[in-house]
Order: sequence, then C-alpha cells, then structure tokens
Amino acid sequence: MPYLLLITFPVAIGASCFLLRTQTRLVIVLAVATMLAQVALAVFIPVDQPVRLLGLTLNLDPLGQLFLIVVPAVTALMFVTTWRLPHGENYLPIALMIIGLASTIVLLLQEPFVAALLLVSAGLLSVLAIVDLPTGSSLLVEPAVIASALKYLVLMAIAGVLMYMGFILINMYRPGVMPQQVEPPRIVLALLAVGFGLRLAVAPFHSWLPDLVEHAAPMVAALVIIVLNTTGLLFLISVFQFFPVIVAENEHGLALLAWLGALAALAGGLMALVQDRPRRVAGYLVVYNAGMVLFGLATITPAGLAGAVFETFNQILAVPLLLLSLALLEQPDGRAPNVVRRDLLWRWPVGGAGLLGGGLALLGLPPFSGYASKMLFYDVAARNDIVFLGLLVGATALGLLALARLAHQRLLGAPEDQPVEETPRLLGMTEVDLPAQRRLEREPPVVALAVVLLLAWCLAIGLYPKPLLAMITDMIRGLTFVREL
Amino acid sequence: MMPTLAINWTIVGMAAASGMILLLRDWRVTVPALLASYLCVVLFLAQQQFITPDLAFGARTLSTTVVVKLVTGLAASAILAITAITFSREYNLEELDEFSLTELRRAARRAQRQRASEPFRISEYIVPFWALVLVALASLALPRLYPIGSQEVDFAWYWLGLTGLFTIVIAGDMLKIGLGLLLIVSSVDLVYTAVASTVQVFPLALLSLTTIVLALSVAYLSGLLYGRLKTLDLAELYQR
Repeated sequence: MPYLLLITFPVAIGASCFLLRTQTRLVIVLAVATMLAQVALAVFIPVDQPVRLLGLTLNLDPLGQLFLIVVPAVTALMFVTTWRLPHGENYLPIALMIIGLASTIVLLLQEPFVAALLLVSAGLLSVLAIVDLPTGSSLLVEPAVIASALKYLVLMAIAGVLMYMGFILINMYRPGVMPQQVEPPRIVLALLAVGFGLRLAVAPFHSWLPDLVEHAAPMVAALVIIVLNTTGLLFLISVFQFFPVIVAENEHGLALLAWLGALAALAGGLMALVQDRPRRVAGYLVVYNAGMVLFGLATITPAGLAGAVFETFNQILAVPLLLLSLALLEQPDGRAPNVVRRDLLWRWPVGGAGLLGGGLALLGLPPFSGYASKMLFYDVAARNDIVFLGLLVGATALGLLALARLAHQRLLGAPEDQPVEETPRLLGMTEVDLPAQRRLEREPPVVALAVVLLLAWCLAIGLYPKPLLAMITDMIRGLTFVREL
Repeated sequence: MMPTLAINWTIVGMAAASGMILLLRDWRVTVPALLASYLCVVLFLAQQQFITPDLAFGARTLSTTVVVKLVTGLAASAILAITAITFSREYNLEELDEFSLTELRRAARRAQRQRASEPFRISEYIVPFWALVLVALASLALPRLYPIGSQEVDFAWYWLGLTGLFTIVIAGDMLKIGLGLLLIVSSVDLVYTAVASTVQVFPLALLSLTTIVLALSVAYLSGLLYGRLKTLDLAELYQR
C-alpha cells in the first residue's frame, strides 16, 4: 500500500539514522536520499483513493500531495546544508521522524482526533531537536534553550488538548439536542482558534516562536515552522471541510477571527520593528505572516483561502531561506567575535541577499514569491472592509520598516575590511613586528548554493505565480465550505 | 446516574489527589498523588462502564480500554518518579571544555546554597490554596453553566482540567509543570471516554501513547535542566 510507505519509509530511515547518528556524513546522505525518494513517492502516488486501515481512513487529496512534494524537497535542501552548518547530533533522525508523522497527519486528515494527537506528538518530538547538541560537543545546553523548549512543550500540549476538546464537542453535537446555552459550534470555534492559534503562532498566542527562532538552531526552527505549522494549517482547512457546521453556524465568530488575523499581522509587524536582534526580527516576521494567513482563511472566500494556501507554500520557501541566511551570517568570519558587524552584505553577499530576499518574500514584495498571495489578501480585505485593508497594508509597511532597519544596522554598512596596502619591510623588522594577518573565510559553498536555490525558487514563483496559483485555485474549488463574497 | 447527594468516593479521591498536586511542592507527595489520581479515574471509569466491558476478572468485568488507562497512568507516574529520584542527565565531563566545567561547578554551588537557605514558609502555600478554592468553585459552577455529560463526569473533568491548568500557572519547578500537563491530558481523556458518541479505540490508544511521550519529554527536559543548573527550580532557569 503506497500510502503506508509514505508513513513508514521516513520513520524507518529515521530510526536507522538514529543508530548511525555519529556517522554524520553517512546520515546526511541517507536523509537527503530519503527525502528525494519521498518526493518521488508523493509524485507518483494515486490521489483521492481512500483506504481503511485499523478502523481509520487514509486518503491523500491533491493539496496534501502538493504538500508532500514541496516539504520534503525543501527539507532535502536543508539537510544538505547540515554538511557545513553545525547541527544537533539527533537533528536528522528527529527531522525524518517528524516528516513521517507529518505525512501521517496529511493522510489521516479525515480522522481529527488522531491527527490532533499526532500533531502534539510531533511537537513533543521536536523538543528533543531544540535542546540537542552537536556530536561530541564541548558546550553545555544554554538555559535559554531549555526555557524555549519548555515553553514550546507546554504550549503545544495545551494546543493539542484544546483541539481535541473541540473535536469531542463537535463530535457529540446534534443540533437541537444539546442544551441551548452551550452553543457547541461557537465553543468549538473558540477552542480551535486558540488551539490552532498556538500551533500557527498567531499573535497573541505566538510567544513560543520568537524564542524558538532566537535560541534554537536555525534549521530546527525552520523545520518546526515549515513542517509542523504548515501541517497545522492543512489540518485546519480539513476540519472546516469535514465539519461544515463550524463554518455555517459561526458567521460572527469567523468575522472575529478575520479581525484577529489582521490585528495579529499588525502586531507581528510592529513587534518585528522594535526588535534589536536579527533572529527575533525573523521570528516576528513569521508571526506577521501567520496573522495574514489566518485573515485569509477566516474570510472563507475562494480568494482568501487561495491566498492562505499560497502563502503557506511561500512560507515553506521563505522561512528556510531567511533562517539559512541568518545561520550563514552568524558563521565565524575570521574577525573578532562579540562585535556587532554592520557590513554583512558585503562580507557574506549570498547570506545577506538571502536574508533580504527571504524577508521580502515573507512580506510579499514583488518580485518575490509572497507577492501573489498578499495581493489576494489585499483584494479580499478591500472587498470586505476598507479598515481590513488599512490594517494589512499597515502590517506589511511595519514589517518592511523592520527589515529595512535590520538591513541598515547589519547588512548595508560600509565594508569594514578595506584592502590594506602591504607594509614594506624595513630593515631589522621581524615577523613579530608585522600586524597579524586576518584570514577571512569564504561563504561555505554548500550553504551558499542552498540559499541561491531557495532565492531562485522564490523569484521564479514571484515572477510567474500563475501555475501554482491555478493549481491551488483548482483544489480550493473542491472545498464545500468556501463561499463567495 | 447516581442521586446527586450520594457521595462517589472515586471522585472524592481523584479530587483530593489532584488537589494535593496543586497545593504541595514536594515530589515525594505529588508524584504518588498523580498515581492516585490515575487510579481513581480508572476506578471511576470501571464503575460507570462507559465502554462495554470485555474482560472478566472473577465476578468483576472490565473494559480493555480501562486496563490500558491503568497501564498508562502507572507508566507516566513511574517515568516522573524515576526522573525525580535520579534527576540528572550528567554530561560526559571528559568532553567538556574548561569554561563549561567551571559553569557546572558554579551552578552546583549556587544550587547547594539555595537548598541550604530554603526554610518552610507558609506564605508559599497561600497562592496554591486560593487557586484550589477557585478550582473548587469553578468545578461546581461550570457543570451547571456548560453541562456536557452527567454531573459527576462534568465535575470530574472540570476539576482535573482546572487543577492541571492552575498547577502549570503556579508551578515553581519543571516536574510540577509536567504533573499539570498530565492532569490536563487525563481530563480530556476522561471526557472523551465518557461522552463521545462513538469512542474509537485508535484515538484512545494514541492518547495513552501521547501521555507517555509527554511524561518522557518532561522527564528528559527535567534531566537536562538538573544536569545544567543542579536544580529543577524555574526561577533559576529564567533568572539568567
């Protein structure tokens, strides 16, 4: 059964990689090959052919298939960069396990109880990756890292519990049978809003994400955001699809969620602007983006939903680009440590360009990939309420200012390493009298290549979004809960 | 359904056990209290027979699901108890550099000083006490305002969920956060088993598995924290 292979293959290889984890190079090759095989499997697997197994329904819809193609492809690229970037001893085995769990969730979207618990389990598993240290490390785990992991663990467990509770209520809801004062669809929407809000890091439920981005290894943060948050969004769409009563009986609730989304985007942009550290700016740009996605989803219109799904795929490209570039810029470059560098674009041109490109893609500026989805959001906002448009444009403007500030402070300063004329040796001068030669490292080619590839994908989709947009629009047409404005 | 005034001792036991988790700080009391809470929930489920029994133990009949919950409770409590007893995930000292070793020695000294200057203070129990009072009031009021199952079921799951939530809110150490999370999961497990129109085996089994994974995650983080700071105190973690 090919569906089972999608689940068991990465999990089995993940277990093997765990046993071989000290053989770093071998594990990287194995993990990349697994991801490529996973992409091939997802491409050739039949869609919409549900099967029953252990009393559960497994099915792969076209949206899920697209997810199972794009995520492993990007993850494979991230795995390649571990060749050069420092990473935890168990990062690759855990990442493979998480991909296996995410594939299971995508296949089991019709089983909300199981999917919610799997999402919690994947979250708990990622805690191990957050606190992981490289093989044979001589360092200790920083208390701030443990604090971030603890916060993430608690909030994800609570998110899972709230989702589960929502599904229990909707499962037992029979219109007219339950006492009127309970109003289950409203309570269910409230529970799901908080549960998924925590999972997707929508303000004000976002506090784990900036901490995670700041303290965990960039690739761990990227993995959590692109795999688990994206799976969470697909899960939310499927919940609306399989429990249409949540949408049908919650017009005011959804309107409230749209406001929450727009305000969350604004809050994300504003908080990004007041951050000093690049990682926190990146974290809050993701929070801004989560607000935008929630807005699009809550409008329940074809354009809003297409925008939300498109933006999610944009996030799969832009977040690794942003975080890999940050990891590249944080590499020791042969200069004195603990000194704030302001010329990183000139020092690390690929990393600097990747950071700017990733940020612009998240903010939806042309010609990067988030452009099409942001235009869809603005269009829906303008047709709904002009205040929405003001909030969304304001949020983007704040995010853009935050990125410009970051670029001004860290990237675009004058080059600090001017070519120095060789001092002529004078009579009696020895080696000790000469100034020490600084050996400035080049950008690691493997990581630079990954950043260039992600940047190229962002640009290609930004310049020519039609095929992806048409595909997504086509998939959304099959969703029954969507309504026209 | 039992008459409202009849006392259900399993619920009383469950409420007392989870109340102790909220109120007290010593793991030697709170971890056994967690086990007692699980046992009471299992007894309550066996008594109410929400799921058709399929196992016979002499004259008594029991559902496999209830047995699974018992095993889950034992496993989760055992994981936390073993963590509390052994605590530390020690670093391989030979691999650490001089700075890391110094840092570890400093943490050990600080933790020792803190333990020595930590007398029993009644004032530390005021917030947990009032939290418990609030839980009691809410657990009595909420089943009337938002009834979901029978009165007993509603009281039991509201009580478990709220004690779990307040335990997390006022927790001073990592183990107590784990206890709070496990109480919340136990509450959801109880309400699903008791009121879901079609209880499926797979979600219940997965919920048990998630409970154990959650206990393991808390145990792992506790070991990591103790190995690093020689204490489970959250104040130390956030002080830096």
